[in-house]
Amino acid sequence: MTLEEWMPLFALMISLVASLVIFALPEKGYVRRTSVNLGAALLKLVVVVVMVWGVFHGVNYGVSFTMVPGVTFVLKADALSMLFAGLSAVLWLLTTIYAVGYLEDSPNRRRFFGFFSLCVASTMGIALAGNLFTFFLFYEMLTLSTYPLVVHRGTAKALRAGRTYLIYTLTGGAVLLFAIAWLHSMAGDLPFRDGGHFVGADPDIHGSLILIFILLMAGLGVKAALFPLHGWLPQAMVAPAPVSALLHAVAVVKAGAFGIVRVVYDIYGVEASSALGLLEPLSWLAAFTILYASTRALWQADLKRRLAFSTISQVSYIILGIALVGPLAAIGGLVHLLHQGIMKITLFFCAGNYAETLGIHRIDEMDGAGQRMPGTSLAFTIGAFGMIGAPPLAGFITKWVMGSGALAVDMDWVILVLVGSSLLNAAYFLPIVHRLWFREVKGSWPEERHWGRLETSPWLLWPPLLTAVATVVVGVLASLPFSPLSWAELIVLRESSP
Amino acid sequence: MTIPGPALAILAVCLPLLYPAMALQTNWRRAMRYALPLLPLPALLLALGADSGWQLELPWLLNGGLWAMDDLRRLFLLLTAVLWAVAGLYAVGYLEDRHLRRFCVCWGLTLAGNLGLTMAVDIGSFYGFFALMTFAGYGLVVHEGTDEANHAGRVYIVMAVLGEMSILAGLLLAASAAGSQLLTELPAAVAHAPQRNLIIALLVAGFGVKAGLPLLHFWLPLAHPVSPTPASAVLSGTMIKAGLLGWLVTLPLGEIALSGWGALMVVAGGVGAIGAAILGVLQRRPKAVLAYSSISQMGLMVLMVGAALADPERAPVLFSVIGLYALHHGLAKGSLFLSAGVSLPAGRMGQTIVWLLIALPGLSLAGLPFTSGALAKLAMKAGLAKDSLDFELAGYLPLLMTAGAVATLLLVLRYLWTLSAKLKTGRNPPMLTAGWLAAVAVSLVAFWWMPWGVAGLVKAPVWLPAPYQLWALVWPMLIALAVAGLALLLSRNRSGARP
Repeated sequence: MTLEEWMPLFALMISLVASLVIFALPEKGYVRRTSVNLGAALLKLVVVVVMVWGVFHGVNYGVSFTMVPGVTFVLKADALSMLFAGLSAVLWLLTTIYAVGYLEDSPNRRRFFGFFSLCVASTMGIALAGNLFTFFLFYEMLTLSTYPLVVHRGTAKALRAGRTYLIYTLTGGAVLLFAIAWLHSMAGDLPFRDGGHFVGADPDIHGSLILIFILLMAGLGVKAALFPLHGWLPQAMVAPAPVSALLHAVAVVKAGAFGIVRVVYDIYGVEASSALGLLEPLSWLAAFTILYASTRALWQADLKRRLAFSTISQVSYIILGIALVGPLAAIGGLVHLLHQGIMKITLFFCAGNYAETLGIHRIDEMDGAGQRMPGTSLAFTIGAFGMIGAPPLAGFITKWVMGSGALAVDMDWVILVLVGSSLLNAAYFLPIVHRLWFREVKGSWPEERHWGRLETSPWLLWPPLLTAVATVVVGVLASLPFSPLSWAELIVLRESSP
Repeated sequence: MTIPGPALAILAVCLPLLYPAMALQTNWRRAMRYALPLLPLPALLLALGADSGWQLELPWLLNGGLWAMDDLRRLFLLLTAVLWAVAGLYAVGYLEDRHLRRFCVCWGLTLAGNLGLTMAVDIGSFYGFFALMTFAGYGLVVHEGTDEANHAGRVYIVMAVLGEMSILAGLLLAASAAGSQLLTELPAAVAHAPQRNLIIALLVAGFGVKAGLPLLHFWLPLAHPVSPTPASAVLSGTMIKAGLLGWLVTLPLGEIALSGWGALMVVAGGVGAIGAAILGVLQRRPKAVLAYSSISQMGLMVLMVGAALADPERAPVLFSVIGLYALHHGLAKGSLFLSAGVSLPAGRMGQTIVWLLIALPGLSLAGLPFTSGALAKLAMKAGLAKDSLDFELAGYLPLLMTAGAVATLLLVLRYLWTLSAKLKTGRNPPMLTAGWLAAVAVSLVAFWWMPWGVAGLVKAPVWLPAPYQLWALVWPMLIALAVAGLALLLSRNRSGARP
């Protein structure tokens, strides 16, 4: 096997091996476990950076095995894979650092970090999967590895949320499997291919194709939290903060959105899906989800619940972007895969910091927290403004590009959705920002802990600060090569000229 | 010596943008306070020292950045830099220690936004700086933390966000019509876009929130008075002008005749100029009177924007008049706001001088001969002369301008009246006095050396207006004095009737 064949396997195996090593280590092996965790995360980041460089210069990384005749296991790195893999690698490193600090002195850390690494391995598999079968394999592995994380605390509430999560995702998985099998029986084993497989498909199979598409969207829409399949997400926020951060920014919801992108682009093809009339209803559904979830977010008093509804809304931007057909809108959608990840992980890190340091869970407890925790609050403020879409932050780039893209294909109504969503985001984020900085502290904090000179543990403080800086940088420097925007442009360029 | 514009431009924006980092060190509080007046200095140097015409390409920024300077932008940059500098000086003496760092952080960011937007030529950076100014400005409005300030802040932020969204939609549509990310391409593209009216409506309304357009102004009389005095000065002096600049660089001025939009803006301007004056004289607090005066003055500028929309031939001339008027008003209004926080000296002689210095910028607003206001008013008169304008409502403009002049002086008198009830005798912090005196000096004296140019309208500087011009300036003031005297007499009588 050549190096080009090894690289994707290597990227996948790093987290998988890390997971096994962590399970093998004793619960008390704190230092060794942390070293394995961080070492693996760093190593993977290096591998992914090398692959990004390679893919940019046209190297084909890929490997495939035949499982049973007609079913192949394919790993392949194209520009779209690397978008997701890059996000996963960067945020895994930061989330690991954060989780080490967050779970300090809490029980069952071996179990936690074992499944945590497994979960990241799954996202890597999803990113690099070269056909629907491989994708499905890792997609389900993700479900199973995240369940123990969601219920980690073991409380009745957590177990209930975990049950809901499993019911939703396993049902979604079953529907997805059914759709994939149906498609397989019709068209055989389809690798993901730029431009898709069904341009000018036989009109006789149009009916089946439409049905399969709907089933695929239903299966993937559960994880992507597309209305009305989003019910599990707000409940799952009982999980520990690093899990929520990972779930909302990279792993679960993004896996769903990424799957939808794969199906639309590399299985059906944009032209074919558009010709079948599939994308317009999808864009309506995404637009509705954006506005509906933002409206729901307004009424949440719990910080993490509000963030959860915000996630539902933001992930649908990605789907809206690709459903609008035009290249520019697609760039806006794809770039949001990264942008939303960076911004949302910042917000969840901060929510975790408030909970761990001051015992704050509800929004009305946050008065004056900016004085006590300026670093965290600064990161939160940047994340919140990013979500609103204030320039020059990441969210603005998304909105501007997607808005321009929508106008380019005469879908002017999208502007209303973008503006409406920004207004709603402002309505539920700005009051929090006001509380943080412009209200006086009400008495004492619910459960305050001290870390000496710093406002909180450095393990908890640095990750949100770094992602907040990233939120600014990917917006301000959007036109640099290798910025998320430039990378999304590269993806769309390659998709449209296979 | 020529000063390199681009390098200075980067410094001018980055200095106030990075200044908030000083807040990280708790014990740099003092240094932070004293750095306030230094922040706009590179921008001041840029506005005064570097000739307009420089360009700075920043291809990596947002969707591709371009900053540049032309004569109009230079006036706005100059106004912004000067006023923030004198207000910063004033703030050194004015501010209390409570929440000082928070205030300074907001101050720096708002300043960076306000300076940046005068230089930005690409849509991304312009809108970015505009938003930075808007959102950071919230911190200046609610700084005092009173219920009143919080209420004003809420109204401010709600209207500001609505305005931002209107601008965003307008810019998206305009950029899409132009197929360009540069502001310079927008006016021509908007003029011929199929969705022209929608785009203009969105931009007029969006920037109108900032500029205090009637019905979009509600936040302004609440927010400008409650913020700390130096912040009021920059809010009313320069930040309000950002909306005006937004119109000037995006609307299709000078491209085609838009008589409908022109008429609408003229009416809006007239309503603003007169209506705000009526509401303003009913106010009891000096800073509230000034806030209404700002709306009233902006009304006159809106009037000129309307005329420029309706008559493309006249637009280039009106551009320079609007720039001049904005500069004059910003400096005078800034001085007036700053005077709201000074204390009177004990001696009678000193008191007279202080009152004179308080009153002069106000009288300048009303067009007192030999002031910047006289120049601006005469230029406006020439710019809006009936026979050179070609649209329906042009005949009403002289009347509106006269009414505006009467209203202005009435408001200034009302301000002085309410202020006299509030001013105490005592000592001022030296920096506060220095800031205020600098503001007055800039408004009354330094103005004459600034690079405004209204070629062909008024010979500059008009130290000695011609007699007919003098009369044109003075008679509205006499009417205002008569009205004020009558009002005073009536109120005396009424209070006299009740023993």
